[in-house]
Amino acid sequence: MMKTSLKTSVELKGTLQDAPVPALVRIPIQKNQKPVVKKKQIVGRGQVVAETKCISAFCTGYVHATIDGMVEDILPNAIVVGPLPAPKEGEDPQMPVRPEPCAELDSLSGEDLCRKLLELGIDTNKFHPSRTLIINGLNPEPGVVVSEQLLKDAQKTLEVGVRILERAVKPGTVKIVVAEGKNITLYGCTTVHASDVYPATIDPLVVLTATGVERPDNVDIISVSDLYRVGRVGETKLPLLDAVVGVGESVYRVLTGTPVQDLLNVAGVPYGADWKIALDGPMRGEAICDLTVGIPENCTAITLVPADQFPEVQPNPCINCGECVLACPARVQPGMLSRYAEFTLFEATRSRHVDACMECGMCTFVCPVNRPVMQFLKLAKQHLAAQDEFTASCRLQS
Amino acid sequence: MASQEISKSMYTVTSAPLWHCGKTLQKTMLHTLLALLPAAAMAVYRFGYDAVEVMAWAGLAAVITEAAVQKLMDQAPTSDDFSALVDGLLFAFLLPATAPWWMVIVGAALTIILGRMVFGGYGGSPVCAPAVGWAVLSISWPDFMDLNGMLLNWDLVEPLSELKYFGTAAIADIKPVSLLLGENLGALGASQGLMILIGGLYLLGRGQLRWFIPVSFLVGVFLTALLYNLIDPQLYASPVFHLLSGSTLMAAFFLMPYSSSSPVWRVPMLIYGLLGGALMIIIRTYGVYPDGAPFAVLLLNLCTPLIDLIQPKPFGGR
Ligand code: SF4
Ligand code: SF4
Repeated sequence: MMKTSLKTSVELKGTLQDAPVPALVRIPIQKNQKPVVKKKQIVGRGQVVAETKCISAFCTGYVHATIDGMVEDILPNAIVVGPLPAPKEGEDPQMPVRPEPCAELDSLSGEDLCRKLLELGIDTNKFHPSRTLIINGLNPEPGVVVSEQLLKDAQKTLEVGVRILERAVKPGTVKIVVAEGKNITLYGCTTVHASDVYPATIDPLVVLTATGVERPDNVDIISVSDLYRVGRVGETKLPLLDAVVGVGESVYRVLTGTPVQDLLNVAGVPYGADWKIALDGPMRGEAICDLTVGIPENCTAITLVPADQFPEVQPNPCINCGECVLACPARVQPGMLSRYAEFTLFEATRSRHVDACMECGMCTFVCPVNRPVMQFLKLAKQHLAAQDEFTASCRLQS
Repeated sequence: MASQEISKSMYTVTSAPLWHCGKTLQKTMLHTLLALLPAAAMAVYRFGYDAVEVMAWAGLAAVITEAAVQKLMDQAPTSDDFSALVDGLLFAFLLPATAPWWMVIVGAALTIILGRMVFGGYGGSPVCAPAVGWAVLSISWPDFMDLNGMLLNWDLVEPLSELKYFGTAAIADIKPVSLLLGENLGALGASQGLMILIGGLYLLGRGQLRWFIPVSFLVGVFLTALLYNLIDPQLYASPVFHLLSGSTLMAAFFLMPYSSSSPVWRVPMLIYGLLGGALMIIIRTYGVYPDGAPFAVLLLNLCTPLIDLIQPKPFGGR
């Protein structure tokens, strides 16, 4: 069994590479993004295919077609764009329309700029005007190297990103947090060093290192990948089309919606039928059951876990060993909370601060009886949220 | 056709995290067994076949009792995590080597039933199971548990009862080294000081045991004994004697840190250890039993929920 290290900072081996354009993309959409195209419609690269119905400047961004092609299917969670049909005999081939570069990007500022960014595909939820802005330059999880790779290979784009954000949200100060011993700087940012050992790399803990305060309310934190997306839009003046995703030791720039299978083929990494494959890192990633899934824009890595490498999660009783307590950065008792959740005493988890949990996964990672500790906590949170929503709606009615 | 496509490309999904540190209960228990091995070997060397018999009966009875009760309770069998075996052995370590087989079996069964199963199984128990078994037997059959009376075959003395009944003069000749090497009468495994120490250090070194409780317990023993010793060296034995005699080391490394019955936060672990050490010396000084270690462990176990209330504020809590 391989020894698992939680260190995230690495010596980078390769450079950022471009993955080839796929023949078909499955562009993921979220619940609040409503499709604005129809089946069989011809779409051009960069054309809006789904919009978020919101008037504010701070919301999930629009979704764009990432290749020229024809809309093959509209699913609840994805829009499938396939290759252009062959022109019928005697007819001119249908020409997809690509949007023009958005020249206003240089002149806009403040909320108008945020709104424009949103329309170009940037998720602006994380931005608030005139707060301290922290850029999390640590690799998010062990085995995920995008952040350091982008800081090495995409300084220019990141600089554009910082400049745009300076105009868009006018942050008080901008700090970048990087791993101890790494000599990384970024335009316009003060560098802060922090531990790179997971879970120290997750947002709330990075904010703590950078500001000295736990959960301050006047601080925004974004990842290097978030910043890169802004920079990318600023650089091309076109809608956001790609994600930067690590596979193994290589990092690729792929078009959003590229099937995972295509990227794995390009990367040439080994995997088997009984492996686990997840979007994002090994600690918080979402395992997928089939490789046709399209890569979302905010995906940071494809994680591959060989079968039998780790003991399986089992619904075992907690033995109260306290390992999870010592590992938990939120200073709650995950084992105890998980027991309450197990026996559906959700209210009891509330008073025991289940809300402080940052869903880092460390409790499940260390549990010697392989209990799904974090899963129980998530369940409890979900129940509490549903309950609160229910109570609120009852109040409204009465 | 569609279904074919799906079936050939289905991958296992689980909820995050996909990684695990690799530390399992089974491994911890195997390490613990390994840690108990030197003391067991030394016990066999000192007490011969009797020791083998007691350990075998205790281990066997513990595992079988657990399996049987789990069957009754409709629980999945967990003998393969070796925790019952470890509890049985720890219990055996506290007995006199010549304990009658029937008492060993009864004790081991009670260790499992009263120490674990009535609370739902390993990990549910608010008390240290082997200490429970020991306590029940000590109260039920004090004669068979009396180390001096049971070990008449060996022309040696039991340091703690000497101290209890004859005062410090009686133990003046007992050197720390002889205590470490187990050259005195004592409980089967618990009196093999050095070997228990080696086992404990092994567990610490392998990261299977946290230092908080063992260290604070020994510090508690040392400080309290020192205090008494300073008050009147004629009346009270030296701290080193207390550290090395009886089941002190055994309690420090194996009984006090018993996972389900010890606190989980850092500061509470330290307080728990310190109090445990102090309590053990107090029981040894004033109690009717020469060795107060298992009783101190049990009493402190009962305080665990209280001590564990000393908690840090959750992250971001105000
Ligand atoms: S690590 Fe697992 S067994 Fe130990 S206290 Fe936490 S949940 Fe319970
Ligand atoms: S996931 Fe577990 S370890 Fe992480 S913050 Fe939540 S309770 Fe603590």
